[in-house]
Amino acid sequence: MNPDHSLVFIIDDDPSMRASIESLLRSVGHSVKSFASTQDFMRDEQPDVPACLILDIRFPGQSGLEFQRELVKSGLHLPIVFVTGHGDVPMSVAAMKAGAIEFLNKPFRDQDLLDAVHRGLEMSQDRRAEEAMLAELSRRFETLSSREREVMALVVAGRLNKQIAADLSLSEVTVKVHRSQVMRKMGANSLPDLVRFADRLACATTKS
Amino acid sequence: MGQDPLFLLTKTPISRGQWRLAVGVLVALLAALLVTAPFAQVPLENTEGLLLVYATAVFIVELITAALLLALVSVQRSLAVLALSIGYLFSGVMVLPWAVSFPGVPALVNLSETGLQTTAAIAMIRRLGFPLFVLAYALLKESGPNARPPKGWQQNIIFGSVTGVVVIACGLTWLVFTNDDTLPRFMQDAQKVSAVWNFVAATAAGLSVAGLAVLWTRQRSVLDLWLMVVLCTFLIEICLLAYLSSGRLSVGWWAGRVYGLISSSIVLFAFLSETVSNYTRLAHSVSAERRAREARLTAMEALSASIAHEINQPLASIVTNADAGLRWLARSDPDLSEARAALTRIVNDGHRSAEVIKGIRAMFTEGTQDRVPVDANRLIKEVLNRSLSEVKLARVSIRTEFDERLPLVTGCPVQLEQVISNLIANAIDAMSTITDRERVLRITSALHGTDEILVSVEDSGTGMAPNSKGRIFEPFFTTKPDGMGMGLMFCRSVIEAHGGRLWMSDNEPNGAIFHFTIPSANSPATINLTHDHRWKVAP
Repeated sequence: MNPDHSLVFIIDDDPSMRASIESLLRSVGHSVKSFASTQDFMRDEQPDVPACLILDIRFPGQSGLEFQRELVKSGLHLPIVFVTGHGDVPMSVAAMKAGAIEFLNKPFRDQDLLDAVHRGLEMSQDRRAEEAMLAELSRRFETLSSREREVMALVVAGRLNKQIAADLSLSEVTVKVHRSQVMRKMGANSLPDLVRFADRLACATTKS
Repeated sequence: MGQDPLFLLTKTPISRGQWRLAVGVLVALLAALLVTAPFAQVPLENTEGLLLVYATAVFIVELITAALLLALVSVQRSLAVLALSIGYLFSGVMVLPWAVSFPGVPALVNLSETGLQTTAAIAMIRRLGFPLFVLAYALLKESGPNARPPKGWQQNIIFGSVTGVVVIACGLTWLVFTNDDTLPRFMQDAQKVSAVWNFVAATAAGLSVAGLAVLWTRQRSVLDLWLMVVLCTFLIEICLLAYLSSGRLSVGWWAGRVYGLISSSIVLFAFLSETVSNYTRLAHSVSAERRAREARLTAMEALSASIAHEINQPLASIVTNADAGLRWLARSDPDLSEARAALTRIVNDGHRSAEVIKGIRAMFTEGTQDRVPVDANRLIKEVLNRSLSEVKLARVSIRTEFDERLPLVTGCPVQLEQVISNLIANAIDAMSTITDRERVLRITSALHGTDEILVSVEDSGTGMAPNSKGRIFEPFFTTKPDGMGMGLMFCRSVIEAHGGRLWMSDNEPNGAIFHFTIPSANSPATINLTHDHRWKVAP
């Protein structure tokens, strides 16, 4: 994980606390951007880099957890590290269930925070790689003709060329041509590759 | 006993209300006597049957009273109360042979008629016995704790005296029943009493008057008050029976019987009303205590949460800044300016924590509100209103004397309220062990000199021991088992911060008085203080 191309956001209403976390993260080479409130954070333009969020709200209770939910709803998949003055067990459980990486009680050990941030950025990076991959696959899939898409669907379903030819009332030779086009356009080196791509695309479409 | 303010019939001081009630009962009984007197001679034939009902009622009432009194004995270890309970038991037991031997009654219950003098003799024993026992109670009740028997004797002595009373009553009954011939001639015939009986009645009346006199001089408790009523009723009964009625089974005679039943029941009623009021008091105090505890807990929780948060915030910042500083210094080319910035933030956070702690101290030692014109009278009334339930619970009567022309003072209402409520709470506490006199809380306000107001809070409590007097305003000095020793010190610093004085003096004949003065709003002292900004209370 290269910190140069990542960003850590801090939301804390206490300026001194904000400055101290910022300094700690910068001392190990992270880029940091801090905000005094969640509203300020939402108003800000967010650069397209791997990122994670350190969230400290006084008396977090609902407000902290609600903000977490709001983030998930708005499609901003940002890993969150909660830092709080007096979090109780139910609160931390709720936060972790909603996908927080860590729930740290103040004062915390610096290594705990750095580890959590590191894990958050890795998650963000993985997620971004995944998203980029999916975008590429979709782009490739878009280049297929409708006949090629039909052939691809039947190929990944395990039908033999002969059967596909019969299904689509085409000659076996034509099917072979379409098939090799599909393999080329989708960038698949083998049948298992193609099946995996199709799976991912299917997952992405059912998800959305 | 001494220390415990037990709410017992024998311990409860006589309140004005009780006095009024007792006098009211007596007046009503006397009025009833006056109404019956003209008809006293009218005979009521064939009412012997009612006599058994009457005797049963008296028997049960006196037995219950005796049992309740014996219960008191087992709690209080008092010989006086024991004498009284024996009196009730004896009187109750003796009413049975009296009724059974009454001319005309034995026939009703298939017994042979007894001698002419038997009933009267038993009546005499009862008549003379009861006031004697009351007299014994009145004479014994003043004996100090030294005269008290040791602990653990109660069961034996109660058992012994109950057995003794029953045996003696049976013995006397047997003697009277079998020796009718040798008894004095109380009765001329079955209806009319002889001159000998008048002598008995006079003796009983004399004993009752003696009992009344001793009780009057030694009256302390509600029980004493009602025993006086009992003796008065007893006297009325004797007069009715001996002097007003025309002999047995006349209107006057039956009226006397009714008075007898009333006098037997009075102490029982006093017990019942005391029990109900004790129960109510208990319920009130339990709920008041629960409410107070909840309020205290909530306040403590809120306070500790807010303190924890206020301190934790800078603390976390200090730790993180220190970590960051260490990391800046540990780099291959240490970044001194970043490390310096982190250290500066640590310094600031340290000061911030100190501010928080200072704030907390200020919260306890001084009010947050500004000085405003304050009407001391209204302030005292408000505090009194709020502590009304405690005052009632502690059976304290409040007397107030406000000078309505009192000038306004300048001050912090919250702090002055705390001072007044502190002094009131102290006064109530000081009277909690008082059982032999009325608990009075007296609050007065007056103009003191030309430009000061003087507020006094008086109690009729235990007063202050001479060696404590000089120290009560010192911090952590307390005379209460659960006291912090901060209250009076706080009061004095608040009053002095307002430019006034707080001191204590003895109350006459009992208790203590706390006085404080505050300069009025337009006095030069107040104006100087305002200019000096010397409002802060020394921590």
